[in-house]
Amino acid sequence: MTSASIKLESVTKSFDGKVVAVDGVTLEIKAGEFFSLLGPSGCGKTTSLRMIAGFESPDSGRVHVGGQDITDVPVHHRDMGMVFQSYALFPHRTVAENVAFGLRMRGVSRSEIDRRVAAALAQVALTGFEHRRPAQLSGGQQQRVALARAIVIEPRVLLCDEPLGALDRKLRQQMQFELKELQQRLGVTLVFVTHDQEEALAMSDRIAVMNRGKVEQVGSPTEIYERPRTRFVADFIGEINLLDDGSKPRALRPEKIRLVPTAQARLAGTVETANFLGGATLYRVSAGGRTYLARETHSGERSPRAAGDAVGLAWNDTDIVTLES
Amino acid sequence: MSSVASHRPSPIAWLIAPALLLFLLFFILPFAVMVVMSFFSGNPISNPNAVLTTRHYQRFIEDSAGIFHDALWETLRIGLVTTVVSLLIGYPLAHWMARMQSRLGHALALMAVIAPLLTGIVVRTFAWMTILQDKGVINTTLISWGLISKPLPLMYNEFGTVVALVHIYVPFMVLTLIGVIARIDERLEQAARSLGAGRFRAFLEVTLPLSLPGILAGSLLVFALSISAYVTPSLMGGTDVLTLPMLIAQQLGTSFNPSFAGALGVILLAVCLVIVIAYNAILGRLSGEQGLA
Repeated sequence: MTSASIKLESVTKSFDGKVVAVDGVTLEIKAGEFFSLLGPSGCGKTTSLRMIAGFESPDSGRVHVGGQDITDVPVHHRDMGMVFQSYALFPHRTVAENVAFGLRMRGVSRSEIDRRVAAALAQVALTGFEHRRPAQLSGGQQQRVALARAIVIEPRVLLCDEPLGALDRKLRQQMQFELKELQQRLGVTLVFVTHDQEEALAMSDRIAVMNRGKVEQVGSPTEIYERPRTRFVADFIGEINLLDDGSKPRALRPEKIRLVPTAQARLAGTVETANFLGGATLYRVSAGGRTYLARETHSGERSPRAAGDAVGLAWNDTDIVTLES
Repeated sequence: MSSVASHRPSPIAWLIAPALLLFLLFFILPFAVMVVMSFFSGNPISNPNAVLTTRHYQRFIEDSAGIFHDALWETLRIGLVTTVVSLLIGYPLAHWMARMQSRLGHALALMAVIAPLLTGIVVRTFAWMTILQDKGVINTTLISWGLISKPLPLMYNEFGTVVALVHIYVPFMVLTLIGVIARIDERLEQAARSLGAGRFRAFLEVTLPLSLPGILAGSLLVFALSISAYVTPSLMGGTDVLTLPMLIAQQLGTSFNPSFAGALGVILLAVCLVIVIAYNAILGRLSGEQGLA
């Protein structure tokens, strides 16, 4: 399967002439990359994806795929696989007919269709489900059919609009592994839209964090997490302590704060609440007139602290990230 | 909808009693009277000599005057043409309205569709007469432009009847279709397009088959209404058109033969039921039998 790079060039899109959904977004997605568009609802991530797919055309700016300007190419000539949040399986067709649809539109021969549908269903571990209808499948199985239907046409680009959003937590985690593995096996460029930061961190090669139609930061999951550039990114990804004491806001992740005896502490405080998370405990500690979040992982001996306990806070200055705004 | 049936009747079940009574009084009872009458030689209440007979049905089947079979065929033909034309006009309109983003636009279009229903059938039919008759708007305009020398036969025939019937029944088609089309997820068509189908192909492959239940319901509604129409065919059809409902009215009003009228009514209903069942079966098969009921 050949994969293609994607380039958005200062793309802008507004609806009804006033609501600016995407505001001058420029992005370069490499061929074969697992790329996530991450942000809260209304940040413009889905509109960006729909412009790559061709369902929306930008007011200004260009969209390139594989080095070609495809801004004016209609949807059905773009050769992209798309997986929708609601799966959008054809309810009146069987699993095999759903998967065969794109091949049929391309005039592929009957025997070739049968062969490729079987192969695609094998890829998503759904062999034997050919004659079921979507309504007879579980959410996870429907998700896999949608994937098979999108990859069977051997697209250069696979677009996923919150494809795991409707699944329960356990299944979602499993599908995260499967999707990532599938993408690596096929080597296809995958653009993944999600509002779930854990999901984006877990699966992506790179992430673009979006807010109010603009890209706040692009980077690998570790960069985004460890070195957030703006206050929005720092706040949106995981938990964060924002320290507004100097001229510029600074951020400190809860797991970088150590709970120590008050004698060795930078700050002395009192535990307000202790949330047991299984593998870790998240403490809210009031110290120096504000509240700090501190995460303590349970490796080795646990010394649980309860609300009201006196505790000391310590951290390394190198762990503090200075934000732009 | 839900298959969870409760065995105890709900405490508000008696609320359907008035509807049930109405149904019994104005549908079941007249229908029973009609069927019974059709098998009597006369009115068994006023005429003690009335006997049981099938001669009214024989009269229709033999059709010695040569008008009954024509009337039945004409009724069905008008019903069929009206249904097809209403569907062809109503479907694009319903599709457009169901997919309309603007709420205001939707409300305005809906008002425009419903507006004809606010005027009585007789008034609307007379309005068509002023447009279609020999000295009507269309003919006088065309003649004054010199495009034609003789008025076109636009009414007092089947054409005029169908035009007026379509006008009356398109709203029923549209209202039935809107609900069904609006429930079809737009993303299904988008998925089809992303898989390589053009807009029209995506419509044919996805939206059209999924809207078959609406097409079925709307067509049956319009068909049933137009084969039972009386006022419009009488006014627009002139002497050219004779439908079964007109024949029934004649038998009741001028021939004073309620028994034969009853037999005609039963025949109309029977033919109608056969067509409905056949249509249902065919469309049901076309739509893949499942998930569409």
